[in-house]
This record gives sequence, C-alpha cells and structure tokens, in this order.
Amino acid sequence: MASITLDNVGKVYPGDTRAVGDVNIEIADGEFIVLVGPSGCGKSTLLRMVAGLESITDGEIHIGERVVNQIEPADRDIAMVFQNYALYPHMSVRQNLAYGLKNRGTPKAEIERRVNDAAEILQIGQYLDRKPRALSGGQRQRVAMGRAIVREPAAFLFDEPLSNLDAKLRVTMRLEIKQLQKRLRTTSIYVTHDQLEAMTLADRLVVLNGGRVEQIGTPLELYRRPASTFVAGFIGSPAMNLIPSRAVPNLPGTAHADTIGIRPEDLSVTEDGPIEMNVSAVEELGAQRLIHGQTGGEAITITYPSDAPLAETLRLGFDRKNLHLFDSKSGARIDKAR
Amino acid sequence: MIENRPGLNILAHVTLILGVVVVAMPVWVAFVASTHTATDFSSGTIPMWPGPHLVENYRTMLDTGLSTSGTPPVGQMMVNSMIMALSIAIGKICISMLSAFAIVYFRFPFRGLAFWCIFITLMLPVEVRIVPSFQVVADLGLLNSYAGLSLPLIASATATFLFRQVFLTIPDELTEAARIDGAGPMKFFRDILLPLSRTNMAALFVILFIYGWNQYIWPLLITTEPQYYTIVAGIKRMADVVDGLPKWHLVMATAIMAMLPPVAVVIGMQRLFVKGLVETEK
Amino acid sequence: MKRTIFNGQLLPWLLLAPQLAVTLVFFIWPAFQAIRQSFLREDAFGINSQFVGMANFRALLDSAQYLNSLKVTAVFAVSVTVLSMGVALILAVAVDRMLKSQRPYTTLLVWPYAVAPAVAGILWYFIFNPTVGILPFMLDIIGYDWNHNTDKGDAMILVVIASAWKQISYNFLFFVAGLQAIPASLREAAAIDGAGPVRRFFDITFPLLSPTTFFLLVVNIVYAMFETFAVIDSTTEGGPAQATNIMVYKVYFDGFIGQNMGSSAAQSVVLMLIVISLTVIQFRYVEKRVEY
Repeated sequence: MASITLDNVGKVYPGDTRAVGDVNIEIADGEFIVLVGPSGCGKSTLLRMVAGLESITDGEIHIGERVVNQIEPADRDIAMVFQNYALYPHMSVRQNLAYGLKNRGTPKAEIERRVNDAAEILQIGQYLDRKPRALSGGQRQRVAMGRAIVREPAAFLFDEPLSNLDAKLRVTMRLEIKQLQKRLRTTSIYVTHDQLEAMTLADRLVVLNGGRVEQIGTPLELYRRPASTFVAGFIGSPAMNLIPSRAVPNLPGTAHADTIGIRPEDLSVTEDGPIEMNVSAVEELGAQRLIHGQTGGEAITITYPSDAPLAETLRLGFDRKNLHLFDSKSGARIDKAR
Repeated sequence: MIENRPGLNILAHVTLILGVVVVAMPVWVAFVASTHTATDFSSGTIPMWPGPHLVENYRTMLDTGLSTSGTPPVGQMMVNSMIMALSIAIGKICISMLSAFAIVYFRFPFRGLAFWCIFITLMLPVEVRIVPSFQVVADLGLLNSYAGLSLPLIASATATFLFRQVFLTIPDELTEAARIDGAGPMKFFRDILLPLSRTNMAALFVILFIYGWNQYIWPLLITTEPQYYTIVAGIKRMADVVDGLPKWHLVMATAIMAMLPPVAVVIGMQRLFVKGLVETEK
Repeated sequence: MKRTIFNGQLLPWLLLAPQLAVTLVFFIWPAFQAIRQSFLREDAFGINSQFVGMANFRALLDSAQYLNSLKVTAVFAVSVTVLSMGVALILAVAVDRMLKSQRPYTTLLVWPYAVAPAVAGILWYFIFNPTVGILPFMLDIIGYDWNHNTDKGDAMILVVIASAWKQISYNFLFFVAGLQAIPASLREAAAIDGAGPVRRFFDITFPLLSPTTFFLLVVNIVYAMFETFAVIDSTTEGGPAQATNIMVYKVYFDGFIGQNMGSSAAQSVVLMLIVISLTVIQFRYVEKRVEY
C-alpha cells in the first residue's frame, strides 16, 4: 500500500492539445479518491497517466516513494478495473485472475490461494472455470475486481467500472466496492461522471473541469462550500440555483456578488419571503415535488413537500447561511458575505 | 502503444520499409528493364536504374506490338481487356442484384432450389471444370468473341450474397412506406434499392473489375484470333518464344501496362477497395 | 427474412432468369459433363465412348504422376500459405503500432492484390531468369547456381515466391482489420498484468486473432490450389520433370494437351470434392466466428 502524489501534472497531446494541466493531488495511504467531472474533463486521461497507459508530459507522479513517470505500467504496482472490464475472452475466470500473478513468477500454490481467496470475497467461486462470455454483466464486473485484488497492489484504479451495468445493479455494486475498499484498505482512485456515485463512494472528491482541478474536498465540504459555480452546479441533485443578483434585487448581504447560489432544498415557502416565484411546472417525485418557475426572468427550482398547497405564485425564504455568493466572471466563490 | 519503447517503434518502421521494398522490388526491376534496350542486359550485367528508352519501348508496344510472337499491338489488347473487365463487372453486378432482389423480396415455389443453384457456383471455379466449359462455349459458337470472354464468368454467388445481405439490412418500414405510396416492385427496386446500394455497388465494382481484368486461363483458351487477345493472356505468348531469348525489355513494358489499370483502381479507390474486399468475404 | 414482400409468381423468375441461365449453361452443365466423363473412356479417335465405372479414378491412384501431383500440390499450398500469411502478419503487427503513418504504409503494401497472377509469374520469372535475372546474379556471388529450368527445388521456390508475393496484401488487410478489432483495453490490462510486448502478442493478441487466422488459412489454401494456375503456366508450366505440376495445372494439361478426357474429368471431380469440403469448412466456421 502506498500514498500517491500528483505534482503539477499535465498532459499535452501532439499538436498542442492540452488534456490536463497543473494537477496537484495528495492521496493518503488507504484513501478512496474519486475523480469526477463531465465527459472530456480529463479525468480518464489523468487516471491512465497514473496507470502508465498515457505518457506524462509535465510534472511528476509519485506512487509510494517512487517517481513513476518513466516506469512501465507493469512495474507501478497498481491494478486497474476497466470500463468494459477487459477480461481476456479466451481464458477462464481462473486464468483471468491468475494471469497477472503468473507473469510475475508467483509460486503456483500462492496463486491458487490468492485466486480462491478473491473468489470467496467476491462470491464468484462457482464460475471459476467458465469463460467470461458465459457470465452476466454483474459477474464480469466482479471478475474484473477479482483480477485487481489478487494482485494485492499498492493502489486500485477504477475507470468508470459501473457504467455498463443497469441502474439497480449499479447501486448494489457501488456499495460492494465501498465495503471491499474499507476492508482491504488499499489506496484507490476512482473515475466517474456520475456525481451521486462520486459522493457516495469518496473519502475525498476531485472535481475536474476542462483538464483542471476545480476543487478537492470531502463530499460534504463540496456540498456545503462549493468553490466555484461549476462545482456548485455539478455537486448535488437537483442542481443548485445560480441566479444573477439583478434578478433578485434587495437581497441583504449580496452587494459584492453578481451571482448568487442557493440549493432547491434550502428554499422554503414563506408568506414574507424576499423572492417571488412564478410556478411554471411541477415534477412529482413521491415524497416531495420539484417545482420549477421563474424569478425576475431567471429559472429557479425548489423542492417542496408533496402535501403542501400549491399556488400560481409563491414567496420564498431561506436561511442566510445557506446563501452562496459567486463572481460571475471567474465563477469563483466570494466569502465576504459570511 | 502502451510502453514507451522507441526501439520497438524503430523496429516496426524498419520492418515495414523492408516489406514495402520487397513488395515493390519486382515491379521496380520490371520498370527498369522496360526502359532499356535488349542489348543493355543481355550482356550479363543488370541495370539498376531506368534508362532512356522508356517512351520508345512503350510506344513500340502500344502501336505495333511484338509481331514475332503473333500478338497484336498492346493498345488493342488493353482495349479487349477493358471490354472484358467492364462486361464482367457490370454484368455480375446487374444479374446479381436482380436475383438477390427476387430472393429477398418474393416468395415463390422452388425459391430454395434457385438459391442453392446459385450457391453451388462457389464450388465450381473455372479451373476445375475447364475442359467441359470450353466444350460448351465452342458448341455455342462463342469462341473468339467478347460474349465468350465475359458471359461464362458473370454468374456470381458472392455478389448475389452480398446484395442479399445489403437488402436484408434495409428496414421493412421502407418497403411498407413505398407500398403505401403506391410503388410496385420494379419502381421500389429503382427508386429505393438502387440508390441505397450505391456504395456497395461501387465497392463491388472495384473488386470485380480487378477480377475481370486479371482473368488468364479463360481468355487464353477461347481466343485463338489475335484481335481478341487480352493483355494478361497475351504476355504469356510474348514471353514464350520458341527460339532465342524473349525481348525482355518489351515484355516488361507490357507487364507494367498490364498491371497499371487495376493497380490504379486499387490505389485511387483504396477505401472502396477495402470495403469491397471485406464485404465479399462475409 | 423480410416481413414485407411483393406478390407475383412470374416476376421473380424473370429476375432470376439471367443468373440461372448463366449458372446452368456455364457452371452446372459443364460440371455434370465432367462427372459423366469421369466414368467414361473414349477410344483413340474420340468417337465412341464406353462406361468404365471407377476405372478412371483407380487409374489415377495407380498413376505415379498423379500421386506426385498430389504431393507437389500439398507442398506448394502449405508453403504459399505459410509464407504469405507469416510475412503479412509481421507487417500487420508492425503497422498496428503506427498512428499517423498507418495509411501510407497500407497503400504501399496493398497494391500487389491488383496484379494479375500471370503478370506476377512473369515478373518473378524475369527476376529469377538464369541468364538475365537479377537474383541469380546475386546468388552467383554467394556461390549458388540458380536454375529453375533444371532444378526442381529452384522451380518450386520460384512459383511459391511468385504466388505468395501476390497474396501478402490480401492477408495483410485482413490481419490489420483483425488486430484493430481487438479492444485496446485488453492489451492495456495485460500490460498492467505484467506482460511485455512479446508475451502480450502470444498470450492475448494471437489467440484473439485466431478467427481471422483460420479464415485466412482456408482462403489461402483455396488460392494456392486453384488461382495459381496462371502463375504456374506463365513460369514453369509444371516442370521441370513434374516438379511444379499442381493439380489444377494437370487437369488442364491432361485435358487440352494430352487429350486424355476421362482422366482429366476424373481429376476435375476430385478437385470439386476438395473445393466443396473447403467451402463447407469455411461456412461452418463463419457461424462460429461470432463467438468472441
């Protein structure tokens, strides 16, 4: 096991296309880090740079004590779970699990023991002699994880491992991955575009946008104090309302900011609320409703109990501490309001 | 690739360059030979670089040919080859499309038998049934004719299967819409199927043109009058001289001209060529 | 199967007529004739013929020349297949590493597909020509006296090289397509699993390429057995001393030059059986190809 440090890491493709720039992350031993962001934000590229599948053009990556920039994937002591699992189709499950150990000259008895241990942990014992094509999606996913854990590597790298599963299985596997990682306490880097998956899995999240780090922090830190409008809009569902301050004039304490943010769940309906909302649509979710509407010509959404009365126009109030202020030009958070 | 190993990349480039050189070598030698005179290499040393007689040699062959070998001018043989190749390619495409249309879009008695009848041609290459096929063509009076050169070669299971495959991927809804719009079968064929299979036709044409142009045993057997000789079959007659050495510089000039049209088609339409090659093997 | 079809009984037959006519007249009737003749023996003048049962086939099995032709065909087909597929695979693996230069290299390697087998034969015949050819000249320097007109081995090497040369481009294209169909993540996973480039090739790439390899194996055998007629005819004409007299060439030679119709027909029937079995193998495999 090991810590992983990314020191000013960047990647420029031939032809001067920058995929990743100035990334600094320190990952503690045993920590579960999730890289999250929209597609094309560079999260997969960054993971593949840690794995050694993409060259590093700027900065240094350390795994444990070593700088691994020039070290080949096989020698970085990492294991990777691929999005399409990348199971060897012509080998049985057992051979798939054993292949990495065999290549490293692990003694036969040791391979046998580790494969059986992994199979037991992942409950794939009865499939060991099948070929991958005879397995269901979820079973393949387990084999892919098994291939990572038999190696007992310094770090696990996950590249959107759940995106090929159906929604229900995704939730189950998410929990299993979390429990497995807690049990093995292996440093892990996990890439996903799904913010919910990211929130539930991560010890700490790294939000990436356009190849750069927007913010690093625990799920709650990011939820409570998003550092930019991008993070504010990306983390949390339904997304935070980001409203130009001119649309809601006379709000106390917003003088310096031209964008104010407030989460739909932090808005409540009160007779004397400072915001007036014209309701345009209602989405029924069961326990609660999402109400969409306009204020000062800008879209706004709130969550609202299902049994509460509805009206054409609602007045909204909020707690001052739940207000987020941003500078619209840079998108950065402004803290003066607090 | 995965590892950053410049050594392996260099090795790959060296391998490929070597491959390209080996593949191109015979044609280069032939080209060099075709630009010299007979005396330049009958002395025993082989020139490595082109000589000054290119225009002269090629013009001789195109206009007059090698009369000692009984072959007509190369120009005329190329025209014959072109007629044969185009007839075979276009003929195969036409009759294959029509039969694929019948098999896919109609249900009629003995449809399976008709299908097998076409399928079986896969198993009867011309080389295998050469003697009786010659007999049939002779009995029909087709020796020394363009029909004799092309007709026996235009039945094609491969092309029929290809179009069958293409038609099967055309959604049923299109047929239904066309029928609702009042289109009969032939109108549907002309207005829907033909335009939708255009690239497949083009890809197939490239392959079939090469196939037709390169025919050897068949034209060799059924043409005895020089005016019907094709260039690929004619070369052999030039190289076969009873006494003395063949006029290698002129034979090589002919070889270069014989490969020029199909090679130009492959290089000029590489994408269609690859598509055609892969599709006909499905 | 189409859900929507057109009605009509006559029209489909009209559409099929050209294809069926050509097939019946130029394929099925001659094939039938070949089978019929394989059971007949003609007299010296070709006027009368009588039914002789399997005599023509038995005669083939007793003929040293025919048995020699079987052996020559086997050696020839295996050599052409191994040589052209081997070279093509090496080139395909090399080009698969390339990113930008893939297309130019491919263009430079595929054009021999368009060269007629007869022309390929003539080209190599010239290059290997004992008096003016460039290769015998070079071989002479290292002390080898090349002469395919008298040496059986030399003649075989000549026709094998000429036939394999033309087929490399075809195999190359299919190998490249096969390599590109293997997901990159499999090779990446193997790299992380500690397999170097060579090991990865033998453990992952080559096994996953096996559908392509098997397909090409059949295609190349068919090519070597049937389509190389022109290569033989434009170079060695089966000689010297029967050394390159492959089966298709012998059918032609015995039928047209030797005028031995019964024997030639029997040989045709044997060849048909070979093509039929190869076609069956190929088609059964096509169904299996979807496995991975």
